[in-house]
Amino acid sequence: MSRPGLLLHPWLTVRAQIALGAVFVLAALPKLADPPGFAEALWNYQLAPAWLIHPAALALPWLELLCGLALCLGLWVRAAAAWLSALLLVFILALGINLARNHPVDCGCFQVQARTRSTGERVADMRWAILRDLGLLALAAQVLAAGARRRD
Amino acid sequence: MPKLVPDLLKALTLLAAAILCAGLANGLAGPERKLGWGAWSPAPMAAAPVAVPAEAPAAGPAPAAPPEWPAAPVRPLAKQPSKPAIKPPTPAAPPASPAPLDAAARFPPAPASVIRELDSDSAWTAFQLKVPFLDARRSADFEEGHVAGAWSLPVWEAGLEARLIGFEAKANPQPKAPLVVYCSGGDCEDSHLLARKLVELGYRNLLIYRDGFPDWSAKGRPVARGARP
Repeated sequence: MSRPGLLLHPWLTVRAQIALGAVFVLAALPKLADPPGFAEALWNYQLAPAWLIHPAALALPWLELLCGLALCLGLWVRAAAAWLSALLLVFILALGINLARNHPVDCGCFQVQARTRSTGERVADMRWAILRDLGLLALAAQVLAAGARRRD
Repeated sequence: MPKLVPDLLKALTLLAAAILCAGLANGLAGPERKLGWGAWSPAPMAAAPVAVPAEAPAAGPAPAAPPEWPAAPVRPLAKQPSKPAIKPPTPAAPPASPAPLDAAARFPPAPASVIRELDSDSAWTAFQLKVPFLDARRSADFEEGHVAGAWSLPVWEAGLEARLIGFEAKANPQPKAPLVVYCSGGDCEDSHLLARKLVELGYRNLLIYRDGFPDWSAKGRPVARGARP
């Protein structure tokens, strides 16, 4: 079996799919529990226009939950993985822009309560969050690529 | 490739389902967890109102009376007696003017800067002069502990409007009377957001207690717990 064949092996795809789905389900729960806190976290990024903050804070966690569940259950895998890839790209971009312009923010990824932390702690966490999102993006890419390959 | 269209439809269905679930969940949520879909959402900070001569949006020199309530004579807070002429302890470096007798004189409105910052000592002076304290933090944080007698106005919660109406009905604040706004100090922006919201409502003398509740409780000043009665 060739190298791409190994990388796109169904055995790996199933695990990538479930891991990615589980991460997003876990990430969605605290946001679902506290939409105002998530709205504040989104606002802190200073990227989205004001009219978008509340709708995004309400709908984004549900999108994460539904796509995560779909991946765990193996339903609508490509559509769900495509959504999560898009979200991950947006997250990476949002964190990257704020790192680049030296505006440290709380990630709001798995926890939405505002925390008082030093700038250094925030910056370190943002770097880690970007790395984590890149890893998750690799999982999503694997799921998408394997699906496309099976189909051809 | 031929399967792209069904996939796109599925993706759109997922989005629609997410929006539907969000609407349902938000409709069922209590005021502390609810968000208005199109409700007031603070615009990004253009220039943060820092230090004494801060600029704020819509700051007019006109004596703008808010439309929602008529200008009324200064009335004591529901729980607190009328402003007594306590001599303030003359704090170090007050951002406003030096030291007279009552709240309005000690913290006069400055038309050029309707939102100003207040240091810890001045906040204590304001407290002694019975200036209303407004807590911009989440209601759960308020219940864990707040400045004694403060009003809970959680700027991120959908219940804010109702609480504002309650505050105005009970405290009957004048547009130009000083109001102290605080959150949790540090890089907490909630007090600034609440202050700007109050400027939109017509208030013209907002004092942001910069160091906020952590400083207040660390200095052993009067603290209360639970929801405001």
